[in-house]
Amino acid sequence: MNDRYVVRVEKMEQVTPTIKAFTLSSNTATLEQFGAGAHLTLHLPMGNRQYSLINNPLDMKNEYKIAVKNLGSEQGGSRYLHEQLEVGDIIEVSGPDNYFPVHLEAQHYLFFAAGIGITPFLSMMSYLSTLGKTFELHYAAPHVENCPFHEEITNKYSKQAYVYLGSREEKRKKLKEALRNRKVGTHVYMCGPKSFMEMLNDSTKELHFPQRVVHEERFRPALVIRDPKPFCVSVNGKDLVFVKENESLLERLRNEGYSIPYACRMGICGSCEVTLCEGEVLHSDSFLTEQEKKSKMLSCVSRGVGDIAIDVEQDGSEK
Amino acid sequence: MSNSSKEFPFPFTKDSYAYSNNSILLDPARSVAVSSHYIEEVKLKRNLLNQNHERCFRALPLSLEAQWEVLLLVFKELSTCEPQYFTLEQRGNAYQFTNHLLREVESFSFKDSSSIEVEPLDLAGRHVQEDLIIMGDRHDGLFLEAGQLCFPSNWSLTFVLGMEFKAIHTPVPGITDNRFIEKVERFITRIRPNSAWERKNWSVTITNKLDTPLETYSDWGKLRYNVTEANAGELVNLRVEVQRLYRLPVTNDILFSIHTYLLPLNELISNDEWLKKFYTNVKTLPKEIADYKGISLYKRELMTFLERALTQRKIER
Repeated sequence: MNDRYVVRVEKMEQVTPTIKAFTLSSNTATLEQFGAGAHLTLHLPMGNRQYSLINNPLDMKNEYKIAVKNLGSEQGGSRYLHEQLEVGDIIEVSGPDNYFPVHLEAQHYLFFAAGIGITPFLSMMSYLSTLGKTFELHYAAPHVENCPFHEEITNKYSKQAYVYLGSREEKRKKLKEALRNRKVGTHVYMCGPKSFMEMLNDSTKELHFPQRVVHEERFRPALVIRDPKPFCVSVNGKDLVFVKENESLLERLRNEGYSIPYACRMGICGSCEVTLCEGEVLHSDSFLTEQEKKSKMLSCVSRGVGDIAIDVEQDGSEK
Repeated sequence: MSNSSKEFPFPFTKDSYAYSNNSILLDPARSVAVSSHYIEEVKLKRNLLNQNHERCFRALPLSLEAQWEVLLLVFKELSTCEPQYFTLEQRGNAYQFTNHLLREVESFSFKDSSSIEVEPLDLAGRHVQEDLIIMGDRHDGLFLEAGQLCFPSNWSLTFVLGMEFKAIHTPVPGITDNRFIEKVERFITRIRPNSAWERKNWSVTITNKLDTPLETYSDWGKLRYNVTEANAGELVNLRVEVQRLYRLPVTNDILFSIHTYLLPLNELISNDEWLKKFYTNVKTLPKEIADYKGISLYKRELMTFLERALTQRKIER
């Protein structure tokens, strides 16, 4: 599940001049199932990288498929995968996780992809086809040569796929047009560069789509604090507490007699939330929203930078 | 020690009552467990299903994909984790599940509803002691979309079908304080694929009756008036639900399984630590929780019984 394990590179295919697809498998372990929109985390020498799984979740034969665009940067993970990796190599992975799940309650799906942003929709389209659900793909790319899986998509989904090439302005106009006059129950999914997502987000707002039917990555993977530093905490405006580098704020507060509730100690349940009054915090949880992070922190995983001030609720007789 | 005592998931860790999200991550992820009461409890479940099917099984059409996912998940888990009792064979899309404890074979084609006589979740539930609930993780919240519920503690599947998570829990006293229920809901929505979390929930049942649905309250609710200091040891049972939340990887919905254990107080008090912890927890229980759990009616008799046991065993209160 969360643990790291190893897979073997079974196959590599050049999809476009800059995009390669990798098939990963295992002879010894049964690979976990995944849902449409899920991704795998690859643990590479230069750090962790996430890639969407592109195979059909209902037709998974102990293998994961990903497609990677070579972004070309010197220390980049994508360049490493393109230039260093060979069939037969072993790589360490974890997951799959899914921050971009397909909601089956939708009556119809509108997928918007640009370039390599197509990858999550490959698993979604094959999954929904198997289930007999209706969808459309609106796919923008600079040219056919730089349009990954163009042939496969236009063959397999000839009636559902709309490919937009050509000038930026023209594409914008057409993509916006594709959002118009939709029925209640239509869900919008988008994946691509920031400007592409912003344009679509603006259009969905203009057209009064309920924001809960507009989906992009739900939340980012949590930040891992690699090199924890000590910090100083003022609690409820009176006590001063020093958190050492090898302990969490939660542990220190409990040792000081604060009866902070807690449960998962992994930053996902939210039990150990405290109010942040002042100071900078490295948030390492996957629970709080961006808005909440301004005034709250989870004491089990997140850490102050230098000095911070917090308020904690007293829930009992311990202090 | 009886099997019931040995297997009993004693829920209290502290010497006073505290309501919290006391979930732990299960490694490996499991959705069900087989206890020494397997055969009798599965037979009881099937009797209840046969006699009151509408009360014990409900499902919305939207849940069908998740139901199939649960069926295969449960059968795979049973055959992998309890291979001496269960076997699952696969040939293409055709599966054959053998339950050696009950000497039964189920053959079906995956996702072919014509190959099974009941809905997939109903079939899965007929081979486990757990109640099985599917919570759909929708764009606008978590909804109860299907359930096979034979052993509820005073709730009704018919009533909650299609309801949203927070609405289902509104009757629990204090559940909205400090946004508690919202946090639990968010916790559930963050559970990762193929992961399972477990928590224990407790209550008290009069007699060793597992099936206490709201629909038959008039039969079992009145038993609460019968508790005396003299019969409490026999009549009063600590009821513990081991609840598991499992993220289904393919549909991204949540399987919520409930395994209910009962232990009569006479057995419970033979363990000094259990006796002391149960006593201190009931003693510090806020009144509205005692009312909610139905304990208020006989709390005085129960406390006298426990105090006498503490004195007899020379345990400090």
